[in-house]
Amino acid sequence: MKNKYMFTAVMLCAILLVGMGFTSLYVRQTAGETKNHDLTVVTSFYPMYIAVMNVIDDAEHVKLKNLSEPQTGCLHDFQLTPEDMKLLSTADVFIINGGGIENFMEEVAKTYPNLTIIEACKNTSLLAEDIYENGHEKDEHAGEAHEEGHVHEDTDVNAHAWMSVSAYESQVQTIAEGLSQADPKHREKYETSAGEYLEKLDKLKARQEQIREEAAGQSVILFHEAYAYVAEDYGLPVSYVMDLDEERKVSAGEVASVLSAIKNNQTKIILAEERYGKSMGDTVSAESDAKVLYLSPLNRGEYEKDSYIDGMEKNMEILEEAFHAQNH
Amino acid sequence: MIDWTSWMDYGFMRSALLAILIITPLFGLMGTMIVNKKMAYFSDALGHSALTGIAAGVVCGIGDTNISMVVFAVIFALLLNKIGSKNTASTDTIISVFSSCSVAVGLAILSKGGNFSKYSAILVGDVLSITNREIIYLVIIFLITVGFWLVCFNWLNASCIHRTLAKSKQIPVQLMDNIFAVLVALIVMLSIKWVGILIINALLILPAAASRNLSVNMREYHFFSILFSVFSGVLGLILSYYTNVATGPMIVIIASIIYFLTYFFGKKCKE
Repeated sequence: MKNKYMFTAVMLCAILLVGMGFTSLYVRQTAGETKNHDLTVVTSFYPMYIAVMNVIDDAEHVKLKNLSEPQTGCLHDFQLTPEDMKLLSTADVFIINGGGIENFMEEVAKTYPNLTIIEACKNTSLLAEDIYENGHEKDEHAGEAHEEGHVHEDTDVNAHAWMSVSAYESQVQTIAEGLSQADPKHREKYETSAGEYLEKLDKLKARQEQIREEAAGQSVILFHEAYAYVAEDYGLPVSYVMDLDEERKVSAGEVASVLSAIKNNQTKIILAEERYGKSMGDTVSAESDAKVLYLSPLNRGEYEKDSYIDGMEKNMEILEEAFHAQNH
Repeated sequence: MIDWTSWMDYGFMRSALLAILIITPLFGLMGTMIVNKKMAYFSDALGHSALTGIAAGVVCGIGDTNISMVVFAVIFALLLNKIGSKNTASTDTIISVFSSCSVAVGLAILSKGGNFSKYSAILVGDVLSITNREIIYLVIIFLITVGFWLVCFNWLNASCIHRTLAKSKQIPVQLMDNIFAVLVALIVMLSIKWVGILIINALLILPAAASRNLSVNMREYHFFSILFSVFSGVLGLILSYYTNVATGPMIVIIASIIYFLTYFFGKKCKE
C-alpha cells in the first residue's frame, strides 16, 4: 500500500500546479499596465471617482483608480477586499466622500498611516440624517410635516452630499485644493480643470432654479435618504423618509405609515430609486394618487467624465416633466 | 510570470497565513473524530449558532462579539449534548430543532430595522478580519486541543467505538463528549469570521472524509487529514489572494477536489 503515499504526493502536486497555472493565466489576463506614475490617486466610490476624474483631467503621470465596485450602491456596508488593500498600498492619495459613509476608514488609516486622505465633504455642510426606527413612532409624527432639520435622538449626518449640485461643487473644490497640496507640481492643471468643471455645474444650478420655481415648495416623500439633498436643492419640505437602500426589508406597518403620511400632507410626489424602491413605489402608487419619480442616486454607472452631469440632467428632466404636468 | 511571493508584503496576508497554519491542523485533527462520531450535523449546527452568538452580543452590548459568540456556542454545544444523550428523539431531529431555533433568534435580532446587511459578511467570511488578538486566541485553543488529544485520545476513541464497553472500563464517556463538543465549539467560533458560516463545516469534514478514503489505521487517518487540511488551507489562501475571491470558499473548493480524487482512488484500491 505504499502507492497510497505516492498517489497523495502526485495528487497534491497536481492540484498545486493546476491551481497555480490557472491563477497565473487569470492574473496575466487581468493585469493592467505597470507603468510608473508620479502620483496614484484612489477614490472610494463612484461619485468621487467622477469628480476626481474631472479635476485631474489629462494631467500627466497621474493615475486614478477606484476601489473595487461594491454591488450595493452606496458604501454603507462595503467591506474592503484584499484587492482593495493591495490597491491602497500603491496609492499616494485616497479621496473619500466622508461623512461616515466610508466605514472602513479607521482600518485604512491604521494600516496606511502615510496615505494622504482627502475628505471631500470637509467643507460641505451636511444634512442631518433622519432615522425612522419603526412604525409606532412614526404614527405619532405622521401628521406633522418633518422639516429638514428634524433631529432624532441618534442623529447622524447624511453623507450623500453629491446629490446636491451646490454641495457637489464644494466637494469638487475641496478635492482640487487637496490634490494641489498633495501634488503641487500639477497645481495649475488641477485648478483650471476644476474651474472648467465648476462652470458646467453652474449651468446645472441655473436649470435647478427654474425647476424650483415650478415645484413651488410642495412636500415630498423620499424612499432614499440621498434624495434629502435633492429636496433641499429644490426647496421641497420632506414629509417622510423611508430609506430603501441595500437590503432593507419593509414591514407592513411602515407601508401603512407612508400611506397615512401621503394623505395627511397631501403629498403628490415621491422620490425613489428604481433598483430598491420599485416594489414599494408600485404599492404606494396603487394605493394612493401620489406620483413616484424614479431618480438616479448617481452612485454607479459609466466611468465617463460627464456621467455626473448627464445623470443629473436626466433626473432634472424627470422632475421638470412631473412638476410641469402638475401645473397644467 | 507572476510574482508568487508578493502576498508576503502585506500584513493582513501574513496574519491570515499564520491563522491558517494554526487552525487547519486543528480542523484536520477534530475532523477525524467528528467524522468517526457521525457529528457532521452537530458541527454544522454549531456554526449556525454563531449568528445567535453575535446577536446576543449586540443585545447585551458586548463590544467584542468573539466573547459572546464563544460563550453562546459553548452553552449551545453542552445543551445539545445533554438533550441528545436523553434520547427522546433521534439526534438529527434534536440538532435540527436547536439549530433552526437559534438561527431564527439570531436572524430576528440582527435583521431588526432592516440592518442584516451589516452582518452578511459573516456568511461568506472575510479574511481581513483576522487580527492579532484572534491569533492569540487561536494559539491558546491550539495548545489546549493538542494537549487534550495527547492525554485523552484513547478514552475519546474508546467511547466513540463502543460507549457501553467504554463505560464499563471506567472511562468518563459523558465528560469526554462534553469536552470534545466544547472544543469543537471554540474552534468553529474563532475561525468563523474569516471562513464564513455557510462553509465552515466543510473545512471540518472534508479533510477527514478524504483521509478516510485512503487510510487503514488511526495514524494514517490523522496524518492524511491534517495534511489535506493544511494543504488546502495554504493553497486556498494564496490562490484567493491572486484571483480576488473569498478565501473560505477557495479553501473548500480545493478540499473538495482532494476528497473526490481520493474517493475514486480508494474505490479502485478496494476492487
